[in-house]
Formats: sequence, structure tokens, C-alpha cells
Amino acid sequence: MAPTHRSLPGLYLHVPFCSAICPYCDFAVLRAGGAIRARFADRLIAEVAIAAASWPDPRPFDTVYFGGGTPSLLPPGDLARVLAACADRLPLASPAPWVFLEANPEDVTPGACAAWRRLGVRTLSLGVQSFDDDALRFLGRRHTGRQARTAVETAQAAGFDTVSVDLIFGLPGQTAAAWRRDLEVAVGLSPGHLSCYQLTIHPRTVFGVRAARGQLVELPDTEQAALFDLTHRFLADAGWPAYEVSNFASSPEHRSRHNRKYWDHTPYLGLGPSAHSFALVPASAHAGRADAGGASARGHRWWNERHLRVWEQYVVAGKRPVAGEELLGPPALASETLLLGLRTTAGVDLDAFAARYGIDLLETNHALVTRLVRAGRLQVREDPQGQRLAPTVRGLAVADSLAAAFDLPLPT
Amino acid sequence: MDQQHIRNFCIIAHIDHGKSTLADRLLELTGALSTREMQAQVLDSMELERERGITIKAHTVTLRHRTADGEEVRLNLIDTPGHVDFSYEVSRSLAACEGALLVVDASQGVEAQTLANAYLAVEQGLELVPVLNKIDLPAAEPERVREQIAQVVGIDASESLAISAKSGDGVAAVLAALVERIPPPGGDPGAPLRALVFDASYDPYRGVRCLVRVVDGEMTVGQPVRFMGVGHDDQVAELGILTPRAVPVERLGAGEVGYLFAGLKELRRVRVGDTVTSSRQPAIAPLPGFREAKPMVFAGLYPVDSTAFGELREALEKLSLNDSAFSFQADTSQALGFGFRCGFLGLLHMEIVQERLEREFGLDLITTAPGVEYRVLTTRGEVVEVSNPAQMPDPGSIEAIEEPVILATILTPDAYLGGILKLAQERRGEQISMEYLGGGRVLLVYRLPLAEVVLDFFDRLKSVSRGYASLDYHLDGYRTGDLVRLDLLVNGEPVDALATIVHRSGAYQRARGLAAKLGEMIPRQLFEVVIQAAIHNRVIAREVVRPLRKNVIAKCYGGDITRKRKLLERQKEGKKRLKRLGRVDIPQEAFLAVLRVET
Repeated sequence: MAPTHRSLPGLYLHVPFCSAICPYCDFAVLRAGGAIRARFADRLIAEVAIAAASWPDPRPFDTVYFGGGTPSLLPPGDLARVLAACADRLPLASPAPWVFLEANPEDVTPGACAAWRRLGVRTLSLGVQSFDDDALRFLGRRHTGRQARTAVETAQAAGFDTVSVDLIFGLPGQTAAAWRRDLEVAVGLSPGHLSCYQLTIHPRTVFGVRAARGQLVELPDTEQAALFDLTHRFLADAGWPAYEVSNFASSPEHRSRHNRKYWDHTPYLGLGPSAHSFALVPASAHAGRADAGGASARGHRWWNERHLRVWEQYVVAGKRPVAGEELLGPPALASETLLLGLRTTAGVDLDAFAARYGIDLLETNHALVTRLVRAGRLQVREDPQGQRLAPTVRGLAVADSLAAAFDLPLPT
Repeated sequence: MDQQHIRNFCIIAHIDHGKSTLADRLLELTGALSTREMQAQVLDSMELERERGITIKAHTVTLRHRTADGEEVRLNLIDTPGHVDFSYEVSRSLAACEGALLVVDASQGVEAQTLANAYLAVEQGLELVPVLNKIDLPAAEPERVREQIAQVVGIDASESLAISAKSGDGVAAVLAALVERIPPPGGDPGAPLRALVFDASYDPYRGVRCLVRVVDGEMTVGQPVRFMGVGHDDQVAELGILTPRAVPVERLGAGEVGYLFAGLKELRRVRVGDTVTSSRQPAIAPLPGFREAKPMVFAGLYPVDSTAFGELREALEKLSLNDSAFSFQADTSQALGFGFRCGFLGLLHMEIVQERLEREFGLDLITTAPGVEYRVLTTRGEVVEVSNPAQMPDPGSIEAIEEPVILATILTPDAYLGGILKLAQERRGEQISMEYLGGGRVLLVYRLPLAEVVLDFFDRLKSVSRGYASLDYHLDGYRTGDLVRLDLLVNGEPVDALATIVHRSGAYQRARGLAAKLGEMIPRQLFEVVIQAAIHNRVIAREVVRPLRKNVIAKCYGGDITRKRKLLERQKEGKKRLKRLGRVDIPQEAFLAVLRVET
């Protein structure tokens, strides 16, 4: 919720390599040979030094997230060197930050797990996507359903605090029964955390091209909605209630300590190609007022060059590899707070929203809220801390439209 | 210039039969413009005209031609607008000529519009010179088309010219025929001045420019003149001829064609068809045929952004300076806010005005469904003219409603006759005549309610005849009809801008079609949307737009929240272009849904 200095910042490290590019993926990823991969850790270490000089927040990072791409493709030795550089140049929480690592099932071996554990990895996030071999082939994955199950069990045996499983639903032609089987396998393995993403066809991907040619037909929205409902009902009953539109945890301590920061304007520093960063700029820097997290705080977001070669050129030259940035005034922050808040089951803290942005959402959007509550999309909840505006499962299903329906001053 | 060395002519042709190309060739051959100066189809100078390949405003050019005998003859080509909406302007252009080139595509044959204009020309005593164009096309059938011209138009086509305007073949013979076959202008040079205004346009620097044909007497610079129809006295500031560049002259004599600038600054004060005479020595009677251009089709124009009302008013005022044929008056809609009720000559005219408002003035507009002006006889014996369905008096106070009817001429290959008869019947047409013309062509004359024609009659006619049937029409008075207002309700609220007047016999079908079409056009929203169509508060059709069930929710991952927020902002921007009625977002096109209803 809203700019606050209460939560400690997070550190994100983007590893852009993949052994093959999945046909649905639109992230900054590439297949690259040994030489480029071998020098990547050095480049990332160089960026750590560059970023440390200008990162404005003095507080320690309490999460470090290796994302990608496929960070599990980097040798543990490289990961260790990067972490060491971070500890050297940036304030890290003591005794140690919570380290996250994304891995492909085919890279998960007892040996690798042991090495990652020694690095301090506490959450291992597995790109399972499905336990069904046909679905995996369609998605262009390089593992089988059996390998995926083995990977989850291996990770659990290795003693990670949280093992997280990523799944994708809404494949063309996917039936409720097929998706239900995936969910059953997943909860049968009892991971602490589950992410279930709806397949999104992005324009500049293999699937995007196929869809444009009519060779791939997206699942109709009524069926997508049915699968979404099924996911939320099934997982809630099984003991993995949602805490965000795509994220489920068996208990609060398994919820992602890192991703949450993106949703509530906690500062984060992102390093590596395409990584995003966000920092709060105290109001005093603009208007001479001294309430850092207060009503007039601004946000500053910037993002790195997307292409590995370009990013490399910058860091080798000792320059920040920043491709773009924006300053977020209260209207933009308010808009994001609503947008992100309505994607979480906790919803939006109405009192904090009013205090920070001077907008009473219930008053300014009274008719809309009344109708959305009546339509079963939203609920107004009384918490000990105050009132919250939270989406129901039916509301989460159309979270994009919910936020857009509110009248808020648009950023200028 | 003496009258013996003048020829005034126009070109009658169907769209795409090659009028503009032939005009270009004539300009080239007479050296009016060097090839280097030629821009394809010089005479269609408005951007919109060139894009659509049609001529909207008449253009005129004076050509100097030296005959084989070495005599110089001045050929005045009076270009005519090429659409049924502008038939009055066509009739005035014809009145300025002694002859016409009847250009027919040798591969297509005569079309209804050509026929209508050819009849008009014959009625006005013009000498017609048939020209078969595009004879270089493999599908050309000059003999068949020649026979058709003789039979359908009723003129001697044995000496028709065969040309290819595109390649230039045979065009020199056209020049010779113009001189030999079209009579020189009559008129009395000694009589008091009478000049016909056959076109008027607005020049932002010089004011109103009239194109005139001097019939009797002469016009000179500085002469005090009177516009007889509108009763306006003025003075000749400049006279000239168009070559096509404007070349000022001191005088225009009987039979000559040129342009006139007087002191006029407002085009509204000038009427095409008016007679200019001398103020000092006025003619006894004006030239015949003058009438006001009367709007036939009405629609509401509303700015999407309600704060742009003032801008719209200014734009309409500016546009009316060089288009006196459309009318506008401020109007309010509960659904759309402040806007204007506008009258147009026809659907094309409406589209042109709308496009010019958007293109030249950068306005974003909502147009309501086009309709006609009804005459409502009330129980108190009053006659009220109603062009906005929302303003139709209470049904209890209506004695009768009269609607405008047209006389439509349809020319079609007989293979499509069945479909056309069915269409005309559906549209409440009354057949006046049906005539087989030979060569497999049929000439139909129908009396039809104008309201049925302004919807999509032309498009439907084209589709049932695969594009082969052609249509021409003119207003033919009023007729009483069993008409009712069809109201559209969105979530129980009547939307005034969606109301239409329909004939009771077709009301159910129209209601169902309209509700279904709106159901398709209104995007799914967070709530259910109920669309109802009702007559006198009785619902006769209902359609439901089911609420949105699922968005594709992109990951908010790796901290790229900016992209997500930008998407949301774009989504909101997009919504601004929708009209929000209550809590329902209605797209602009929905207000024209009635045009898209399949019948």
C-alpha cells in the first residue's frame, strides 16, 4: 500500500539466458553460448558497483531474487560471486536476506539443490507450467511431467523454506478436467507456494504469430473464466488460498516476501538487462517538506536496457545501463495503488489511500462501488486497522477492468 | 469574344466512366496546362474528392482551341458534380451549357445516373454528343452500347465517338465534334444583363467567388449588380476566366463563362441558380429554374468531448461559408449533451461534411442515425415539421404524420430484378413503371419513402445486384404513413439519440434487428446491460449484454508496473471515446447502429 518506508527494499537480479525460448514468453531472454554466459556474472558484478553509487535508499535489502530467464543455468559459483559482490557493495540485511532462485525442473538435482542451499537460497521457484506431457510439449518446455514431479520432491528434500510451483492454464482446447488434474498433482506434492498464470498470447512471440495467422485459437473468455473460478475454488478448498490474482500460499509465511514489494510501492533495485527499479523520493527533494513517506512523496522508476549486448556495453564502460525512467507523482501512485491493490485479496486500505492521496474512494465512486458490491465483484471489509476495499474471486477475474472503472485524476 | 466562337459544354458520365480523365486530356490537348504541370485529374482539386474519385463541387475551365481552319474557339467546360445528392447543382450547370458530352464506359453501358442527367440535358434542349470511352478495354462492346444509347436515351448515336481517354486515342475528334455539333450560345448582347450563377465557393482572402454564365447583355468590372433571387445589391470587383488559372478580364459578354468577385463575404447570401443583373438597368425577369437547395437528410452531430461544443459551432459556421446546402441548429440530447441538428442534401453530403469536420477541424464527433423531416398534423390542426425523432409530439396529439417520398429510377441487368423488386417492396416502394430496354436491361421507376432510402438502400441495392444496378432519385412530395417512434432503452433508461421513426408494419423487425445490433456493438462490461426497444412504452424487443467474465491479466512481475499502469491509462483514454450513459459505456458507432441492421 502506498509509499512507505516501513518495508525494507528488495534486490532483483535478472539472468536472461534460457536453453530454449518458450513460444509464449515475451520476457527479455535469449539463448547464448558459453562465452557470453561465462562473462555474465562479471558484468552483473560490474553493475552492482555502478548501481551502489547511486541507489538512494540506505536501508538494508531483506530479499534477493534471481529471476529470468533461467538463473539455474548459471553455475552456483557465479551466483555466489554475484551475491558476494552485492554483500560487499550494497547494504544487505543481517544475518542474511531471503534469497529466491527461479529454476527449470530439468536443472534440479540433489547436488544443485545442495549448492543453492549453501548460497542461502530459501525459496526455490520452479517453472513447472504443467504436469501433463502434451501440455508441456505445446508450451515448448524441455521437461516431462515426471521430471517436474521429481524436481519438486528433490527441492523439498533439500530443505528449502519454500518450494514454489509455477503453472499455466487456459491453453487452447484445455478442459476443466485437464486443468483440475494439474492442480491435483500440484497440491498432492504439497509445495508451500503456487503461482497459476493464465496463458497470455503476446504479439511478438511464436504464439502471437500463430494466433495472428489463425493457427492458434485462444480459449474463449467464458472458458477462461471457468478455469479461473476452478483454480481459486479448488486451491482455497485444498488449503492454498489466493493472496493475489495469480498467487496462492499454504500459509502466510509462504507468501512471496519479494513480489509483494512490487505491489505496495516498497523500493526495489533491479540489476541485469531489462530489470526495473523503484525508489521513493522524499517530498523535501521537490518542495522542501520533510515527510519522506508522506502524502507528497514521489516515486522514481527506471528500467535497464533490454538487450544483453547494449546492457553489457554500458556496464563495461562504467555507465548506468538505464533505458528509461519516470517520476511518479501522487496521481500515478494513486492509480497504481488501486490497480495493484485490486489484484490482491487484501485489497486497498481505504483510510491510508484517503490520507495519502486525498481521495475517498467510497465517496468519489459511490455508485460504482455500490453496483460492484451488488454484482459480487467487490467487498468493503472492516479490519481492525480500518476499512478495506477488496475484490472477490469474480472481481479478481476482471481485475483489469475493475481498476479502469474508477474515476481517479489521471497523471499529467 | 463573339458568340459564334464560343461553345459551352459539360460532361455527363457515371462515376468511373472517365469524365475526369477526359477532362484532363482536353486540357492537355488545348495546351491549357503543360504535361509537366498536369497533376492527375486536375479538375478534382479537393483532397476528399481525389481520394474518393468523385467530384463534389463543380469546377470549370476555359480552353482555347484552334480549329483545323485556323479559327480560335473558346471552349468552356463546365464540370458537374457527380452524385445524386447534388442533382440541383447539376441542373444549374446544365442550364449554363448548349451541349454535353455523354460519356459512357464502352464496357459497362449506360447507368441510371447518366440516364437521369442525360434526360435532364435533353429536356433543357442541350445537344448531346455520345462518347464511348475505354474502347481499349478487352470487355468493350461499343456496338452494343451504341444501340443502348440510342434506345434508352433516345438520341441518334450513329455518330458517337469512340475514344480512350486514358491513352488519348480519339480525343482530338472530341474537340472537333464540340465545335461542329454543339451550337454557339444564343442570348441577346444588347439586352439588359442576365447571368446565371451556377456555382459559388468561398475564398478565405477574397470572399465569395461566383461562377457565372452571361446569357444576355454584358458584365463589366465596377458595374453595380443585383442578385435577383436573394435581392442583394453589390458591385463587380473582379471578373475573369479560369484557364484553369484565374485570369482577370475587364468584361464578360453574352455567351461567356467566367468568375465574379463582388463584395460578398458570406456564401450563405449567394444561391446557385440565381440571376445576376445590372442594378441600373435590371432585367424584367430572372432566368428560370431558381430554387433554394433544401436539406433532405437530417442527423445530430455531437462532440464526443462535450467541452468541444463551441469548437463544433465555429467549425460548422466556417464550413457553411463554402457549403450553403447544409443547415444546422443547436440541439440538446439527454444522452449526448449539446450538439447540432444538421440538414444535408443526402447521405454522401452528410458523410462529406462529417469527414471535413473531423479532418479539417480535428473534431471527434458522434453522428446519430440519419433521418428525414416529417410533417406532423396535430389534433389541434397545426402542422409541425419534425426532423428529430426525440421531438416527435406525444402520440395522443398526433392526427397524422406525412413523410417525404422520392421518385427513384433504377437501372439494372434483368438477372437481378427479383432481388431488387423484393428490396423495393421491403422498403415500402410503390412501383410506377417497369420497362425492358433490350440488351438484358430493365428500367424501374419506384415511389419510395425517403426515410427508407437514407438508411442503407443504396448499399443494399448494390449488394443485391452485385454492384450493377444504379440509382437516381428526386423528391416527389409527401405521403401520409402509419409511422411510430421506436424508442431504445439501455438499462431501463430511454436514450433519446437512439430513437427512430419507423413504419408500424416493420416495427417489430426493426426493433429486433436494432436491439440485436446494439447488443453486438456494446462491449461487455462489469455489469449486465439490458437493451430494450419500445413503442409507446411497450417493450417489443429485448437483448442482454452479458457481463465481462475474464480479463487476460498480465503478470505484474519483475517490477514492471509502469507498463501495466500505461495499459490502464490507455484503457481509460479509450473509454473517454465511449459515451457513458448511466454506467454503460456505448461506442460512437452504436448511434449509427440502425444503418447496420440486416433486414
